[in-house]
Amino acid sequence: MLAGRAPPGAAGCCRRFLAAALRPLLCGLPSCWATARRAAGQWPSPSLRVPEAAEAERLVQQVQRTGVPLRRFIACPQLARTVQRCLQGGASPGPQPVLLECAPGPGILTRTLLNAGVRVVALESNSAFLPNLQTGYCIQISSTETNFIQSLENSLDGQLKVIYGDFFRLDPLTGTVKPPAMCSDKLFETMGVAAVPWRADVPVRIFGILPQRKERNTLWRLLFALYECNSIYRYGRVELNIFISEKEYKVLTAKPGEARAYQALSVLCQIGCEIQLLHMEPWSSFVTNLKNGGLAVPKSMWLPNDHLCLVRLTPQQNLFTRGLKPTNSATFIFMVKQCLAKPKSRLTDRLNSWSLDNGGKLQRALEIPKNAETRNLYPEDYRRLFEALQNSNMFTETWFHDEVLESIRNINL
Amino acid sequence: MYIRQLKVERKLSIAASQQALGGQAKAKPKVKAKAKTKAKKSLKSPKGKVAAAAWSQSHAGPHSVYAHSKPRVAAVKESAKVQRPRRVREEKDGSQYKILQQTIQSNLECFLFLQQPEKAERLLLLYHSSPAKRKLLNVNAYNIVMRSWARKGCLQRINRLFSMLESVGLRPSLDSYAAALECMGRSQSSTKAIWRCVQQLKNDGFHVDELFQKCLFEEDEKEKVLRAIRIVQPNYQLPPPPNPQTCKSSLLQDFYSKEKLVSYPKLDFSVQELQERFQQQLELELDSTVTIESVESTKPVTPQAIKARKLLATLRSRWHDSILQALQKSKHNMSQLKTVSGYNILYPYLCLLPDEEYVGIMLQILNTFSPQGESLAVLARELGSKVYNRYITQRKLRSRQLEKVQEVYEDYIHLLAKDSQPDEYLPREYWEKLVAEAGFGPSLNLKDCSWPYMLLMRLGMHMLELLVQAVKVPRNILNPRLEHKLIPVLYHIYSFRSSWQVGLIKPHPIFSQIVSDAAETLLTFNSSAIPMLCPPVPWTSPHFGAFVLNDTRLMRFVDGAIQHQLLLEQCPPVNLHPVLDALNQLGNCAWKINQPVLDIIISIFNDKGNEKLDIPPPISEAPRPPAAPSNSSTWNKSQKQEVLLYKKKTAEMHSLRMDALYKLSIANYVRDKVFWFPHNMDFRGRTYPCPPYFNHLGNDVTRAILLFAEGRPLGPKGLDWLKIHLINLTGLKKKSALQERLEYANEIMEEILDSADHPLTGRKWWMNTDEPWQALACCMEIAKASRSPDPAAYISHFPVHQDGSCNGLQHYAALGRDLIGASSVNLMPCNVPQDVYSAVAQQVEEFRKKDAEQGVKVAQVLQGFVSRKVVKQTVMTVVYGVTRYGGRLQIEKRLKEIDEFPEEYLWEASHYLVKQVFNSIKEMFSATRDIQNWLTDSAKLIAQSGRTVEWVTPLGLPIVQPYYRSSSTVLNCGMQNLSVKNSSSNQKPDTVKQKNAFPPNFIHSLDSTHMMLTALHCLRRGLTFVSVHDCYWTHALTVDVMNQICRQQFVALHSEKILQDLSEFMLEKYCRYSSPVGKPPPLSFPPTPIPLPGVVVPRCSRVVSSAWGLLWREAVLPS
Repeated sequence: MLAGRAPPGAAGCCRRFLAAALRPLLCGLPSCWATARRAAGQWPSPSLRVPEAAEAERLVQQVQRTGVPLRRFIACPQLARTVQRCLQGGASPGPQPVLLECAPGPGILTRTLLNAGVRVVALESNSAFLPNLQTGYCIQISSTETNFIQSLENSLDGQLKVIYGDFFRLDPLTGTVKPPAMCSDKLFETMGVAAVPWRADVPVRIFGILPQRKERNTLWRLLFALYECNSIYRYGRVELNIFISEKEYKVLTAKPGEARAYQALSVLCQIGCEIQLLHMEPWSSFVTNLKNGGLAVPKSMWLPNDHLCLVRLTPQQNLFTRGLKPTNSATFIFMVKQCLAKPKSRLTDRLNSWSLDNGGKLQRALEIPKNAETRNLYPEDYRRLFEALQNSNMFTETWFHDEVLESIRNINL
Repeated sequence: MYIRQLKVERKLSIAASQQALGGQAKAKPKVKAKAKTKAKKSLKSPKGKVAAAAWSQSHAGPHSVYAHSKPRVAAVKESAKVQRPRRVREEKDGSQYKILQQTIQSNLECFLFLQQPEKAERLLLLYHSSPAKRKLLNVNAYNIVMRSWARKGCLQRINRLFSMLESVGLRPSLDSYAAALECMGRSQSSTKAIWRCVQQLKNDGFHVDELFQKCLFEEDEKEKVLRAIRIVQPNYQLPPPPNPQTCKSSLLQDFYSKEKLVSYPKLDFSVQELQERFQQQLELELDSTVTIESVESTKPVTPQAIKARKLLATLRSRWHDSILQALQKSKHNMSQLKTVSGYNILYPYLCLLPDEEYVGIMLQILNTFSPQGESLAVLARELGSKVYNRYITQRKLRSRQLEKVQEVYEDYIHLLAKDSQPDEYLPREYWEKLVAEAGFGPSLNLKDCSWPYMLLMRLGMHMLELLVQAVKVPRNILNPRLEHKLIPVLYHIYSFRSSWQVGLIKPHPIFSQIVSDAAETLLTFNSSAIPMLCPPVPWTSPHFGAFVLNDTRLMRFVDGAIQHQLLLEQCPPVNLHPVLDALNQLGNCAWKINQPVLDIIISIFNDKGNEKLDIPPPISEAPRPPAAPSNSSTWNKSQKQEVLLYKKKTAEMHSLRMDALYKLSIANYVRDKVFWFPHNMDFRGRTYPCPPYFNHLGNDVTRAILLFAEGRPLGPKGLDWLKIHLINLTGLKKKSALQERLEYANEIMEEILDSADHPLTGRKWWMNTDEPWQALACCMEIAKASRSPDPAAYISHFPVHQDGSCNGLQHYAALGRDLIGASSVNLMPCNVPQDVYSAVAQQVEEFRKKDAEQGVKVAQVLQGFVSRKVVKQTVMTVVYGVTRYGGRLQIEKRLKEIDEFPEEYLWEASHYLVKQVFNSIKEMFSATRDIQNWLTDSAKLIAQSGRTVEWVTPLGLPIVQPYYRSSSTVLNCGMQNLSVKNSSSNQKPDTVKQKNAFPPNFIHSLDSTHMMLTALHCLRRGLTFVSVHDCYWTHALTVDVMNQICRQQFVALHSEKILQDLSEFMLEKYCRYSSPVGKPPPLSFPPTPIPLPGVVVPRCSRVVSSAWGLLWREAVLPS
């Protein structure tokens, strides 16, 4: 059964968490983080029991309440191990940054990671999952004090921290911030992660499965934050390790000329980050919280979509060199989006339709053929085009700025 | 093989036609053609080739007599069962086919209009000669070309076309013969030729009389055909006009009964005056646009404005020239183009009007640009339809249809003028009689000539591209320091909304700046935006009525939808009479402007506006833009937010301001005139005035400036009604009886008089009411009436409103014979008005208490939170078929607004409450939910079997729900690809929409029926009557009579077996034989839970004795 130093009664946690479901759970503030006490990599391997897939599935089904959006979980220990290996693979020697696991749900991966000695912060948006994550092995953070409610806490020495919050509702633009929505500065404060300069190493790594309904939207918001150094990217080049649908992966990595796949998102993502494919896993390996246990695989007309892809997005170190700055990056995004709204249109026509001054001359200077279609330009071409436009003061036309502002509003709402 | 098939088919068709009782077998030409094309293979008789001969050739021989006549009989009968093959066909063809077919025909029509028969024929041949494309042609396409030749008198060409028809196995239709005979009449053909033609016409199963009964003629076509006929039959007389039929609906027996005829009410105008007004209206519509002074024109003009206006004028004349040049260049390129098809599809459409007119249309669009820009699709449609409307006007002029309308109208006004003999006709009847008497000349209906939606868009896009290309402005026009360079005035940009993108055309800020500096005070409207200056042309058919020239549809529908029009065309005309008469009655109400109120409103409008009084302030009153560093790239997030908010606010203010400016300017334009609002309806029969900006359906401000042109004395109770009306407008005393309201009004008489005398300087009591402007107008009327020596004799033009209370539930309660429900929506006599929302909240609270006692957690949490406000929206929308899902969202929203409510219970609590609300409604309106469920289930089954839900209102109006699974076609245009949704009837119905929308649509069709019944019976009693859906307006004198009629008609309507009739109709329509599309829906009729009217007579009679509570007030009012 339970090996090692599992606390008494941990086995019964599945039953107990239901009773505890109504306990006040709040996103925590004060940090009692153990980083100082132990250097990373030196954690004793606690070898926690990782529940079997069926058990995890049951847990997901029990927790599920009506009115909760569709979510996908890692339930199979084998998959968890694969993911853990992917996450740890290629890591440079030396102290590792903390890993923020978004929406761990039943906590299969969490346990696997802990067993592998990774420092984990679990950010869970469904309060019903929290007791399961906490009572076993972790601290519960309340608004008034940090309770080490289980003996395991001490023994784990803060290797795990559980926070109530929703990563995909970070820094909402409008309205008050009501849990599980939260502000990134609160989150980073709780994690005990301080901001580092852009060119410094990765300050924190994040793992998550993008919510499917808002997948595209979430990607856009992340990219916007990246280009403007907002939200999580205020703390440096945060490394994202995310499961996204295969079709979106194809879009992110598409090259010019790939019909339908090559979009504004491709250009912006490729300029903004280094994209690494870590792993591909069939949809069926994941568990959903649907009542009927369905897989709810999103349809895709033109692109293959048989897998979820674990992708690592590391922001480019040299993103803000040359003309691009966090202050003018919105203009760049706007320009790319306008150009690729109709991929078959010619770049000349686009430039002319903005009543910009001497588009033709500019195009010649950049050695872009006169009849080039916007879908044929490489991401780097767009960057050069932007820099050239920036230098020639074309963006000083007031209306262009208004449009950029408008587009920001439209994307963020 | 073929022959055997043919025989079987004929037997089938005969059987089918006998079943269908053969009645109403008059099929539309299109329908016929379809049936024929289907049968064309089998009809290709061996003699077909011989039959290519025509009457003018000498060797007529035995020719096609046999080949034609026999199958003709079959075909006639076939039309009775035409439904089935057509459906199959359409299913197969897809929407593309239909659009193409329509496009070809409208192209041919263009050539006919342009009098270019050669080009028309070339286009026809293009399709005719290719076996694949030939399928797109039906006999109508050939007919159009024949008509263009007939106009030139080229009989040879027509003969050729007849042989072409023959060669592809199509049979000539009545219109083909009409064209041939017209040509013969024109070219003085030999008697023999004409005789042969008439003979073949008869052989084809037609009759000469039918030519004059069924064909639509333009110009002198009718005369020419008659001339040809009289050559062979010198004594031929035109067939007598068909006897006018009378509607047989039991609800309107009294209304239409000949014994009780009363003469139509007269207007306070002489024939002479009405004729002058008609001339004014005609001139207005001939100009197609009207330019009026805006109400802002009274402001002094600043020197800056004068300068900007001059600048704008120079720019405009330059733009005019460059647009004209661009248009001519593009037309030239098109005409040079030698494509495979040999012609450019848009080219003829750019030739229909003089070039100047196209330029005018484009410049007009340019003038209306707001700084925020406009979506490409909207602009394209507007440009396209403007061209279409002018083309239709031209056609009406050319075909001399207008002349005839003018002639008939001049006689028609004798029915309405005070100095002519009273006549016992309804407007429609009188008009029909006059048309029948006029005999000769062009038909008043134009031949179907609508353009496919895609074509309209394509044309609009082309014009828009020209506009964007051609209109330029020097970059340094406002800032001479910049270098001189021409830049486009309009730019094209995409706006991204979550997952989709919209193309926008925006004006360059330089342009917006000049326009705003110039502050021009002239506004240009389509002539149809202005109320009519003479009584509207009465509706006599789905195609004809309302404006003199402007094309108006009887039924509004979304672009591209044609199902309603088809249904109305197929419906026997007599069934539409009640609806047409009701629309005519609503449209014949004359209006005038309440000038004192208008003046006050304009003075505030031209000053600083007043948001509280709903007068939008000018942009100059907008909050200052946030101070931010000039270089916007250095703005931080909050600064950006602020700027965005500012921009959003100004954009909103601008659109509100413009809307009010339009309304007030139109009102001001007609301030000294009497005017009329022609009406049409939506697909459920709800009626609307046609002029879009200024009408009585508008907001408080617009309603307050409208008065009946006709005045009536107040009578003994009129003043009391005015006072009660005033209190109703204030929103006070909602729970008091009428008597109390009246007493309250008397108590505050001083305030009322003060408001009337010093509206802006006094104590301003009126400003703090629900509907301040109408309240003010009412105060003024009360003041005038009460100060007149004899208030009862005071002539009042003031409309008094009577509002339904939760009208949808009233109909449900009556349908289900729910006593408790009926009393909660004021269908039962009661001393005080009932409030259904409070009643439901009470019931919910009771349920909650019980549950809380039993320890249901969420019920305990909800203690003290159940209120009228929380449940109101859900109760209101129950009628419109809100589901638990939607209801929960509504309640969740309300609960969220309560700060104290714990958020973690939101979901659970709203879920719980919506359940209880539904239970409560079920308790109170026991049958409502059952009826809804039955309607929903039936609609679902029908939609799932691949058909759309149709029904007929108790007044005989056929209704079809126009919800289809949208498929969009992408229009490839240079500037941008436009995705155009098409909803033609070939598509599969949208099951979810069909299902969810059926109950509310059905109820709306009932409330519109009730309104029309009330309107018609008010007409018989000589009342002025107009409606805003379930709010009825009349003079103070006649409120009591109207209330009585309203109640009687509600009772009469619900004494009909409405649900039973619906059930029978659906069984007949959807379950009679297995439809070829799929299985027939297993509809369970009649539904078990429905208490059919017959079953519950005792309860029924009780409801009947006191129903339509909106008027329980009457009983309480002291007499």
